[in-house]
Amino acid sequence: MPRNDIEVLDTRQSVELGEGVEIHLRIAGPFPRALALLLDMLIIGATMTVVGFIVTIISAGSAAVGTGILLIVAFFMSWGYFTYFEAGKRGATIGKRTLGLRVIDRSGNNITKGQAFVRNILRLVDMLPGMPSTAAGVLIGSFGLGFFCCLFTKKFQRVGDLVANTLVVYTQPELMMTGQEPNVESLAPTVALAREEQVALADYYSRASMWSEARRIELSDHASDLTQKRGMAGMIKLLGMAKWIREKK
Amino acid sequence: MKETEFEAKNQPEWRKYDATMEVLERGDAEAVDISKVPAQVRARCLDLSLARYRLYGARMCEYLNHQVTRGHNLVAKSEGGVREKIVHFFVAGFPQAMRREWRLLVICWLFFLVPFFGIWVSYNHDQEWVHSLLGESQRQNMDEWYGKNSTGSMRDEFGSNFQMFGHYINNNIGIDLLIIAGGALAGVGSLFILLSNGLQMGAAMAYVMNEGSPERLLSFVSGHAPYELLGMIVAGMAGMRIGLALIKPGQLSRGKALMESGKQGLPLIIGACVLTFIAAIFEGFWSGDPWPVELKYWVGYVGWFLLAVYFIFVGRSTKARRIGSK
Repeated sequence: MPRNDIEVLDTRQSVELGEGVEIHLRIAGPFPRALALLLDMLIIGATMTVVGFIVTIISAGSAAVGTGILLIVAFFMSWGYFTYFEAGKRGATIGKRTLGLRVIDRSGNNITKGQAFVRNILRLVDMLPGMPSTAAGVLIGSFGLGFFCCLFTKKFQRVGDLVANTLVVYTQPELMMTGQEPNVESLAPTVALAREEQVALADYYSRASMWSEARRIELSDHASDLTQKRGMAGMIKLLGMAKWIREKK
Repeated sequence: MKETEFEAKNQPEWRKYDATMEVLERGDAEAVDISKVPAQVRARCLDLSLARYRLYGARMCEYLNHQVTRGHNLVAKSEGGVREKIVHFFVAGFPQAMRREWRLLVICWLFFLVPFFGIWVSYNHDQEWVHSLLGESQRQNMDEWYGKNSTGSMRDEFGSNFQMFGHYINNNIGIDLLIIAGGALAGVGSLFILLSNGLQMGAAMAYVMNEGSPERLLSFVSGHAPYELLGMIVAGMAGMRIGLALIKPGQLSRGKALMESGKQGLPLIIGACVLTFIAAIFEGFWSGDPWPVELKYWVGYVGWFLLAVYFIFVGRSTKARRIGSK
């Protein structure tokens, strides 16, 4: 398979570091990001309510000053909350952290304060349709445009991500279940395999124990050109070749 | 070397690395010997490339990939010197960006001033336009605040200074950010908000100039107008920078052009917020207070003059240009 096709299928961002090694970043899709957003909205809402109570009690004498303070707090909560946390050390709002997400630059580095600022100003556009009311200091929109933009970009980027050149990724590696290694005889492939093909076989081998037998056969049938067999026999042959490749390396 | 051997050999080292990372991620740099960390990260890079080359299982590759990513995030930190950056922004970045984008400056002023003066002039021929733009309730408000018979200080009607300061921060900077974000809709959003603001302000101007007390309105707005209007225009410029990346990406792909626009527009975005923040201070604590009218006008003139001097002359020295090109 040509290299480009592999990258199209993959939702990972490969970055080559200065050390000469390539790291793969797992990009988060719209669903976990929406959950994180919901959580952040709840936190902002709750904070505003609490601050509202406190300010009302304290400034009982002068309502005007209280309103002023509330408006400024509302401004910084609605515009500053996301920027402050995303520009911080962990690169994530409280919601994102809870979901195990963080914002990074496309190069894999932490984002700068400027990038955090830009991607969060453009939240307003991603919120379309449904213009949020900035006067009340609460930014709530449907995130329709952001959602569609995520679907139409390879790296799940909303408009703000595109302009600020950022990605939202998982902080933790994919949970890998391990089982028994397949018990097969190792078997030399009949043709020389390209590097990508070897990698695919090795991956197949190391993940095989996580799948049902039907699934294993379904996948090995795709490689029937190589094994010259289908079904159970093809699967065993393919696993054998994968084992041989891993032993040779 | 077999995968299991490799893992067994390196396991103690990986455990130590994992612990170090955890401590550093908590921000506790004192607890470990930082000078050794870069070498440790490089060692994990080597482990990862070996594991990938030898086709070790996906689990180990994922694990090492995670360890390298963590280390990289901690070691490759480029940002620093916030104070230095702020100084650079004011002595070089912002005025240089304004001069670089002078075409957008002209376009945005036109999209504000043409409707502003257009609607004002139209009042002499046909009052319907201004009346329908302002609406019944707004005209009543204007009569109350800037009418021929209004007296007293503004703040009696507006409430305390601090409340208005809060209101201006929230509302006006919010509008600026809206203008900037509107730029991502191919620039249409930015220009539309500039145009509608021009119409609204022009209509209010025409109404008060003809039906009310011009002195009350002008003495109120003169102090903060330089910063507020320019802040709005700069927001429009930042929005247009983003919008133009979609309309006219030039040699770049649209995606790349958007990224570039984000970088180039950043000084304008920050600048718009700074200017509008200054405007909010003036509007909250100066404009509504009972100072002599002449003094208020002069504060306005001086404001325009200082802004012009700042944007024309600051950041032209060789040293400033070197800072700006970074």
